[in-house]
Amino acid sequence: MSSLMDMALIGAVMASTLRGTTPILLGALGETFVERSGLLNLGLEGMMVAGAFASFLVGFKLDSLMLGFVAAAAVGMILGLLFGFMTITLRVNQIVVGLGITIFAHASCSFLHRVIFGNQFPIMFTAGQTHEVPLLSKIPLIGQPLFNQHWLLYLTFLSVPVLYFIMYKTSLGLRIQAVGETPWAADSSGVNVLKTRYIAILFGGIMGGLAGAFMSLGDLAFFVPNMIMGRGYIAIVVVMLGKWDPLKVFLGALLFGFSMSLTSALQVAGVKVSPDFILMTPYLVVIATLLIFARSTNLPAALCVPYERGQK
Amino acid sequence: MRRIIGTAMTLAIVICFSTSLVLAADLPKLVGLTIPEAGTDKGWNEQGKVGLEAIAAKYGFKMELGEALGYGDIKPTLRDMVKKGSDLIICHASGYQTVAPEIARETGVRVVTTENHKDVTPGLISDIDTQPQGGCYMAGYLAGKMTRSNIVGIVTSGEPPTWNRMSAGFAQGLKASNPGAKLLYSLIGEAAYADAAGAKRNSEDQIAVGADVIFGMGDGASFGMLQACSSKKAKDGGKVWFIDVIGDKSSIDRADVLLSSVLWDMSVVYDEIIQSWKDGSFGKQHWVAMDNGAIRLLEPNKAVPSDVRKEIKDLEAKLKSGAIAVVDIPVAADLHKFLNEHFPK
Repeated sequence: MSSLMDMALIGAVMASTLRGTTPILLGALGETFVERSGLLNLGLEGMMVAGAFASFLVGFKLDSLMLGFVAAAAVGMILGLLFGFMTITLRVNQIVVGLGITIFAHASCSFLHRVIFGNQFPIMFTAGQTHEVPLLSKIPLIGQPLFNQHWLLYLTFLSVPVLYFIMYKTSLGLRIQAVGETPWAADSSGVNVLKTRYIAILFGGIMGGLAGAFMSLGDLAFFVPNMIMGRGYIAIVVVMLGKWDPLKVFLGALLFGFSMSLTSALQVAGVKVSPDFILMTPYLVVIATLLIFARSTNLPAALCVPYERGQK
Repeated sequence: MRRIIGTAMTLAIVICFSTSLVLAADLPKLVGLTIPEAGTDKGWNEQGKVGLEAIAAKYGFKMELGEALGYGDIKPTLRDMVKKGSDLIICHASGYQTVAPEIARETGVRVVTTENHKDVTPGLISDIDTQPQGGCYMAGYLAGKMTRSNIVGIVTSGEPPTWNRMSAGFAQGLKASNPGAKLLYSLIGEAAYADAAGAKRNSEDQIAVGADVIFGMGDGASFGMLQACSSKKAKDGGKVWFIDVIGDKSSIDRADVLLSSVLWDMSVVYDEIIQSWKDGSFGKQHWVAMDNGAIRLLEPNKAVPSDVRKEIKDLEAKLKSGAIAVVDIPVAADLHKFLNEHFPK
């Protein structure tokens, strides 16, 4: 094992940890705000699928990566708006709407991929490019894995303290927390509950779309149906693991990304353990973490509860 | 005399016409095909769809396609196919081996299962299993000749019997051509057939420790393996070769890293099934194998030296004649044992 666990593999693990963390973190940060506002968005997986497809389609057809990312954000926002209209305005069950959006996104993206690309799986060769951070990328061992990555990865990690600040230090963040805990109290103190929830879900949709776009244009350079592979649901678990706190959510996503990287690194390093057991690692780590740190979980009190003025 | 000739000609025409009617009645009119993923994956699902399309065109029957059905309970789809008049339903996934025989027994409609020997029933249930290890032996042999670092990797999206047989065949071929080579083995997930990101991650880790030939089994996930081989350099700065399975990705191989592919032609076994339908022997075991032409190696990359090409050709003949016996290991635990014995960690 030691002969194979060389520096190159350690570097590869660091790099793949960051890349594996990014889509989960993007989705989870958005979902943190959504759930804090009292909405449970199980459509996150679908928003990631739609974001992955839309970004690849637009990016490939218009030969513009930036427009691809814009398209992903737009599609995520539209699906967020749909979720919001159904659950906030019409007060339809949030779980049903969320799952419906996921199923719809999966089916429609597979169908459209077939209609547009037939049996071709084009690759966008300009996608997946990395950008070196001057000076930092020259640091031995960690320089290249940590500071030669896609721009959206840097942006995602940098957004964590910003979103933490917004959540706890701005009036918008406090309003979002208030409508997720006691919407009637927030309403009586002049907070527009419905508008605040709409802002949260639109933000969650954008982040979900970008998470999918990172998969198809940031990490990879193509779209394959089902490529999200449940990462949207993992993001939802990470939000609960992080107790709806952006910093803790970041740590949870990083832990999961690291565990995922270990599943391949341990196999390559020649650890004499069955691959089946190694593949359980991320889930065992999450379960253990939940048991240790998340026993006193405080769900937002109004999570999944539709709000109607006058009804408590 | 003229009346006799006229009567004879009329009789001959009637006999020909009725014979053709009988022959037509011997063929199914509508054949259903159920596949778990999209029939455009340049892999298992597409080969099933394309193979049946070719046979449908050959024999003139219609085809009812149910695709992207997943790996769950597909009984509603199968009942719908029966209702629409399918005479035969091909269930092109090992995950359907429980529901397909149930529907056959419930409705009397003939079905074809995958990797399900125990339910083969004369007149009702045929089964298709695979013996692709011969083709993979050649692929492993080729990898052993082309590796510069003497480190070769297998990346697989699951451990179904077919994938295990291919891994074992590949390992045996590698050992035969390059006994000193090191073999890495990475499993992406239990059923990570579409996990392209996971496939890329596993391939990159293997490349990081020196692998310069990757043998990938993945369906949609294999695009991630191809991308890893295309975008990463081997430790010596040269190419990382990729050997694919089932389909041909030459058209999207812009980096020219595709060394070869173990191709599958499902139309060969579908033809056998239709023949069994015609001769009344339907309800038996069929094999996707080298000896019936369903498995072959894609013409290797132009970088492969001519002497290696010749060796591969010679190998093919020996494999078909049975002069070289390739191991048949369908069970994952047995595969792990085999790999540990021949390529100790």
